Amino acid sequence: MTEKKTPLLDELEKGKWPSFVTEMKRAAVKSESAGELLQVLERSYVEHRGHWKHGGIVGVRGYGGGVIGRYVDEPETYPNVAEFHTVRINQPSGFFYNTKTLRTICDIWEKYGSRLTNMHGSTGDVILLGCKTEDIQPIFDEYSEAGFDLGGSGSCLRTTNCCVGPGRCEFACYDTLEACYNITNEFMDELHRPMWPYKSKIKFSGCANDCTGAIARSDISVIGTWRDSIQFDQAAVKEYAAKNFDIQGLVCDKCPTKCLTYNSQAQELSVVAEDCTRCMHCINMMPKAIKAGKEKGASILIGGKSTIVQSAFMSSVVVPFMKMEAESDFEEFKDLVRRIWDWWDENGKSRERLGELIYRVGMGKFLRECEIPAVPQQVFRPRANPYVFWQQDDLDKSGTALDGSKL
Amino acid sequence: MGRGPANPEVKKKVLEYLAKVEKAKSRDVAVAIGEKKSDVDDAVKELTAEDLVEYLYITTTYICLKGKVKTPNS
Repeated sequence: MTEKKTPLLDELEKGKWPSFVTEMKRAAVKSESAGELLQVLERSYVEHRGHWKHGGIVGVRGYGGGVIGRYVDEPETYPNVAEFHTVRINQPSGFFYNTKTLRTICDIWEKYGSRLTNMHGSTGDVILLGCKTEDIQPIFDEYSEAGFDLGGSGSCLRTTNCCVGPGRCEFACYDTLEACYNITNEFMDELHRPMWPYKSKIKFSGCANDCTGAIARSDISVIGTWRDSIQFDQAAVKEYAAKNFDIQGLVCDKCPTKCLTYNSQAQELSVVAEDCTRCMHCINMMPKAIKAGKEKGASILIGGKSTIVQSAFMSSVVVPFMKMEAESDFEEFKDLVRRIWDWWDENGKSRERLGELIYRVGMGKFLRECEIPAVPQQVFRPRANPYVFWQQDDLDKSGTALDGSKL
Repeated sequence: MGRGPANPEVKKKVLEYLAKVEKAKSRDVAVAIGEKKSDVDDAVKELTAEDLVEYLYITTTYICLKGKVKTPNS
């Protein structure tokens, strides 16, 4: 292939940080499609507009997702990227691979694709960038033979994702790896056969540090927490004090609910457990002295998403605590998720995410129709929350009208 | 989904409806043919495996008869 100049892209190779342009140029040595991709991108930078079209075929036989159609808008000019589809491969829990597995993934991709990958996409999948329509089925067949499956795309359950959990992290309050694996296997139909108004994401974070960004990026966020009180090792607290660590200023004063008290004379910490929101700040600051409680599980939050129909939403707590240890715990979670998806599928408009539907119809309606008990944690300010309305039945039972008069 | 084989009658109705339109959301199909959405989902699952129906991802996912909707460059 004749090498064409890319002066604007070349600017992005300057500096110490690894450059995606350099990687694309390396791929272009053996891949004509990678070379043309550089040309299309350079032209987009010059013209300030994209040259890609999106849509059409999305999968292999029996699948509705996992392949995202990409087409360049001038196929005659760029014949090698006329079709440049993205393939999503479902990643293992926590992104744990051995080197042989990674080689297998890359060997198959070198055979059929552009040699470009994206490790990992925002949902966590192994993203393989650029293949032709005729190669989609053979690509799937070979990955399938090697033990891989496609990830999600379209109006389906997107590839579930989790943090490294107890595999590498002392803070994990439940086994995120097991939960992600178990629940992914359960919802294979929902992952591969898009049936809903729009996409739905589940992310598993082992603690409130939320390394998967679940609260902001997933419709259903499963975030590790504990039900009892944080635990102190007072001897370790004294060691922090002996090293002049500012326990009052950096830990107690920054506690969002001011539930921590530091006795500087005794060099001991205490907590009002019922005021603690399990935010992890104190544990992050003093990991040798403060630990999560003993009764661990997860909070289930609903409605996180990035902007499209409405603005970006953070998830809201709907189940403050759920055990996530035994199969029966996972069954409880699956049952909850099915009720929520059924309600969303029944009531959601096209392209309306779960959080947007709740925003439109109200949290109260969502909780009642999904048979989720309302709990105080869902109330931001009593009687000021527009999502909470007294039902007529409740008023009748109370015998008191809203104005205080007897019914 | 996954409750067992799809109802052949529903599969037939889905195919008949998709023959009349270019593409549709599966819920719209369910409303149009007067069947439960979950039964339509089951039918579509089997019809895609039989290569009679395919999924399209155009900002959201639609279903259509196999080959009825052309790709952007075809």
